[in-house]
Amino acid sequence: MVDSVTLEVIRNGCAAIAEEMNANLVRTGYSPNIKERRDCSCALFDADGEMVSQAENMPVHLGAMPFSVKAAVETFEGDLGPGDAVLLNDPFHGGAHLPDLTLVSPVFADPESEDPTLVAYAANRAHHADVGGSTAGSVAADSTEIYQEGLRIPPVKLFEDGEVADDVMEMILLNVRTPGERRGDLRAQEAANETARERVHELVDRYGVEELSEAFDEVQDYSERRMRAELEEFPDGTYSFEDVLDDDGRGNTDLRVCASVTVDGDSVHVDFDGTADQTEGPVNAVLAVTSSATYYAIRCVTDPDIPPNHGCYRPIDIDAPEGSIANPKPPAAVVGGNLETSQRVTDVVLGAFGTEAPERVTAAGQGTMNNITFGGTDPRDVSASAASGGSSDSSDGGSPYAFYETQGGGFGGRPNGDGLDGVHVHMSNTMNTPVEVLETAYPLRVRRYAYRPDSGGAGEHRGGLGLRRDIQVRGHVARFSLLADRQQHRPYGIAGGEPGACGAAYVYDDEAYGDDAGERLPQKSVRDLDPGTVVSVRTPGAGGFGDPADRDTEAIARDLDLGKVTEGYVREYHGLDAPDAGGR
Amino acid sequence: MNPADGTRVGVDVGGTFTDIVTVHDDRVNVTKTPSTPDAPETGVVNGLEKSADDAGFEFGDVAFLSHGTTVATNAVLEGTWADTTLVTTEGFRDVLEIARQNRPDIYDFDAEKPAPIVPRDRRFEVPERLDERGNVLRDLDEDAVRELAADVADSGAESVAVSLLFAFENDDHERRVAELFREEGVDASLSLSSDVLPEIREYERTLTTSLNASLKPVMDRYIGSLDERVRERGVGAELKIMQSNGGLITAEAARGRPVNTLLSGPAAGVQGATFVAQRSGVEDVITMDMGGTSCDVSLVEGGDPLISTDVTVGDYAVGVPMIDIHTVGSGGGSIAWVDKGGALRVGPRSAGADPGPISYGRGGTEPTTTDAHLLLGRLDPDRFLSGELDVAVDDVRTAFEAKLGDELGMSAAEAAQGVLDVANANMQRALRVVSVERGYDPRDFALVAFGGAGPLHACRLADDLDIPKVVVPQTAGVLSALGLLISDVLYDYSVSRVRRIEEVSPRDVRDVFADLHDSGAQRLADEEVPEDARFYERTADLRYAGQSFEISVPVPDGEIDEHAIDTVVERFHERHEQRYGHADRNEPVELVTLRLRARGGVDTPALEPPASEGSVEDAVREERAVTYGGDARETRIYDRAELPADASFDGPAVVEGAESTVVVHPGQTADVDEHGNLVVDTGGGR
Repeated sequence: MVDSVTLEVIRNGCAAIAEEMNANLVRTGYSPNIKERRDCSCALFDADGEMVSQAENMPVHLGAMPFSVKAAVETFEGDLGPGDAVLLNDPFHGGAHLPDLTLVSPVFADPESEDPTLVAYAANRAHHADVGGSTAGSVAADSTEIYQEGLRIPPVKLFEDGEVADDVMEMILLNVRTPGERRGDLRAQEAANETARERVHELVDRYGVEELSEAFDEVQDYSERRMRAELEEFPDGTYSFEDVLDDDGRGNTDLRVCASVTVDGDSVHVDFDGTADQTEGPVNAVLAVTSSATYYAIRCVTDPDIPPNHGCYRPIDIDAPEGSIANPKPPAAVVGGNLETSQRVTDVVLGAFGTEAPERVTAAGQGTMNNITFGGTDPRDVSASAASGGSSDSSDGGSPYAFYETQGGGFGGRPNGDGLDGVHVHMSNTMNTPVEVLETAYPLRVRRYAYRPDSGGAGEHRGGLGLRRDIQVRGHVARFSLLADRQQHRPYGIAGGEPGACGAAYVYDDEAYGDDAGERLPQKSVRDLDPGTVVSVRTPGAGGFGDPADRDTEAIARDLDLGKVTEGYVREYHGLDAPDAGGR
Repeated sequence: MNPADGTRVGVDVGGTFTDIVTVHDDRVNVTKTPSTPDAPETGVVNGLEKSADDAGFEFGDVAFLSHGTTVATNAVLEGTWADTTLVTTEGFRDVLEIARQNRPDIYDFDAEKPAPIVPRDRRFEVPERLDERGNVLRDLDEDAVRELAADVADSGAESVAVSLLFAFENDDHERRVAELFREEGVDASLSLSSDVLPEIREYERTLTTSLNASLKPVMDRYIGSLDERVRERGVGAELKIMQSNGGLITAEAARGRPVNTLLSGPAAGVQGATFVAQRSGVEDVITMDMGGTSCDVSLVEGGDPLISTDVTVGDYAVGVPMIDIHTVGSGGGSIAWVDKGGALRVGPRSAGADPGPISYGRGGTEPTTTDAHLLLGRLDPDRFLSGELDVAVDDVRTAFEAKLGDELGMSAAEAAQGVLDVANANMQRALRVVSVERGYDPRDFALVAFGGAGPLHACRLADDLDIPKVVVPQTAGVLSALGLLISDVLYDYSVSRVRRIEEVSPRDVRDVFADLHDSGAQRLADEEVPEDARFYERTADLRYAGQSFEISVPVPDGEIDEHAIDTVVERFHERHEQRYGHADRNEPVELVTLRLRARGGVDTPALEPPASEGSVEDAVREERAVTYGGDARETRIYDRAELPADASFDGPAVVEGAESTVVVHPGQTADVDEHGNLVVDTGGGR
């Protein structure tokens, strides 16, 4: 039996291993996606493949990595030795969407011995800037089958006995647009797992295999106990909520996402029955993604201090109908499932909890990641194109580039305060690309980057504001891909709060650029933009929390002073002509 | 007067105490007086008077006066900065508030974004635009600037920040805004981003410039008042202020650049620890300063503290170079508790200094790390339990049983050992963050422990991390003040020039460095630094094209030519290989930022070694049972003040000093070196 002190010491040690892997991955990673945006996560698993600790930068990775380890273990059934590492990305074999490459490494207590003892697995996941497919950046808004989305990698050994499997590596590199960068990032992923190996060996030296394994179990039991205690506090019952995705980019609109959350004592069952059938466009979320979004929501409504590991998930049971957008069958296109549908899954699970306990949740956030990709050839003499990494095999003169980013928006109004303005919500938490870095590295110009006044849903606590980011193409024709949602259906308010404003995207000729609406772009589309064209992406605001009539007049006046709302908004939602508390 | 001749004074203002270290006639004197947080200058002057009495010097003798201050830090932590106006490029006034779009905590719905230093209604846009090379895309609209200036003048703003896109490439527009503001009668102080932090990344530059602007009036008032009061008493030496980078600047310069002083005190502590370690022959150290509520750790390589440009102070990542200090909420006052899942936790809540641990006898009732040390015999109950209330060891034991032991099924002693194990696990993580996570192996370093609680934990932590040596300085309680006496004058200059390396012309680099050199030389001359004590260190930040993190490498001395640039690139590959484990000489490399550090060398004072009389045996106060990892061992308790130089003894041992207690574990050996530092050999390392 492991005592409470050893438990806490080993728990600290396990958390530190995941964090150290993560620090190492970010430090040694090659691409800005890993180093600057930190679109990666690391975790440690026990010998049964159950998660012991995790360091996640991206919530969408949270519950999805166990699927990867399970797939790797099942594929190789005991045929994994010291120095082996399994790579995969296929969403139908343990992955989430193709750009996320996951590397799983077994860790043995005594790697030198004849019959080494397996004690753990280390795994990490990183979003790669390109994995081939129809569109640079591999976030093709117009894909209809997974084959168009890039190279599919089932669980394969990328490393065997400590050596890279050159044939596998070369096959991968031949299928991507920026092979040098991929090689660098994969090397960093291997280094991260190597960190875990060294640190687990230190724990084995200190505690021995038996006590360490017991401690791994106890760490999970501990999280399970705390999760069950939290769930116990919710009244038993079934709470349901539904919302929609605007469309799939192929003309199929108003795709339902439904959740029934049944709390029974200290466990919870989440059923997505009623969710729309899988669809042609790339908004299908595999079960790993749906599970991740569900775990995230439950973590938020319970105690976020509970260490994330398999124990947290034991009391949670998830059902999603096979062949739905929450659990599609191959060859569905899935790239946006991870990015967009995951957000809606979070919205409905939080919404369901909110019907019983609004004080535990927030109003809907922007509910999208507003993915944009620009690709083309940099017309400048010497470009600093990031995605090409200098070793692209393209040879048409200038340097090819691909620039991918996501945009923040409103965070839902909260029980204890207004929603945050202009942040990534729920399943995403990446950092933006600085304007000066963007313009230096790519033939693009940012014309405006600002809050969108009046976009936050009114409420006692206002929803967060969306953003406006206007980007101009300079001196070349760029291929632009947009993958966004919440442009038809507004993020919901809660407890009497108003919904937030929809997002939108417009294009302008250089001369016509201004405050008026330009030509509206379909929210999931790919198109070529002429030199000088400006794309204006407006991201959704968030829903408000509580009755707008209950909003403090000083808060209203303050928002007006700050220009976060206009007088028209105040009249419409708060019924006030001129709030008197310091308004000007 | 040559500073080396007169009395040298270092004054460090902390939360509780104002520490003063003086060197007068080669003798070191240490004085502690209570701080006066509402007007820190009062505490400084009180301390100076007491110190003058103790050490026997006149104010007129003071030839060197340096100061570590928390005035700017506190203003940031408490949000009491001055009302500030910000001017940005049209279309970008929200950059300061949007920050980097990530939210402060992934799962906690209650987490707040840091408040913008300048609220939205005080942020104004002016029509103008530069491109990424500093070429003008749109002229500055001077009429619009004049109009805005009139509004700003009327608003009575105390301070103005100007941060325009790509101003680091071309500062014409920022300077013109400043000129026009002056012409239109704006008399507020001005901070230009092209002065404060001429580096790429608009959010970080704008934040740093805004912070600087908002702190200027605060710093100005404080230094004005302090300067006046020390002058009144007859001090003629120019007041110097410690910066976050570990170097001194004049008080005048600090008034213009308060954002450079945010880690003034902690940086001085690291400088002091580095100095002490170097005198003991150690160049690579991890410093650990553990007080009542928190523990600051940092790494020193080759005698130079690691510098970072993204250190977070309060909620703000400030872009100026600072010593890379990592803080965790683990201190002597950290409270131990059992959580809902049955795990023993220590911190982050702290009993602080008031009421403090139970054993302080000031009414504390929650078990803390310090109390655990007491129960295990590491702290002497007779000496320690001297509070106003009558607290006995039994009271502490009862609290450990009631609040921890009963729930955990442990005795009070077992619970106390558990508290230390958990506290050490927390601190181990902090030590790993500054070493392993930065690519360093702790086995190559010595641990320098100071602060009231540091030496209690250091030897065990060193064991856990296989660190071969622990150094506990004789002056462990006043290392910051000591650091103020031995630090050089440092001015950091930088400018971003983002170019593919093949596009970089040696002439441009030469010109940039020449400008930076002129600024630095002027500074050092103004401060009357002797010619032969002026040094200039040039570095360049490079990266692989497309990466977003740069590595700083030294630029060779002498003329900048193609060869020099090739050398810089090769150094970059080498450093990349060393830090990240890989390098690719076929990848295109990009120059990002050129840096110059102007250093005015300060003569370090001669410090007399302690008197070494008596024998080791004479220093033994008593023997008592002390518990290590669950085993009670009869342990010799030494009086630090009585230990002679060259003393050597084996663990287990406890060394009691005026400011801290060192626990030497079984199997370790301790020596007192010629400078009076206690050096513990843990047997670890590689």
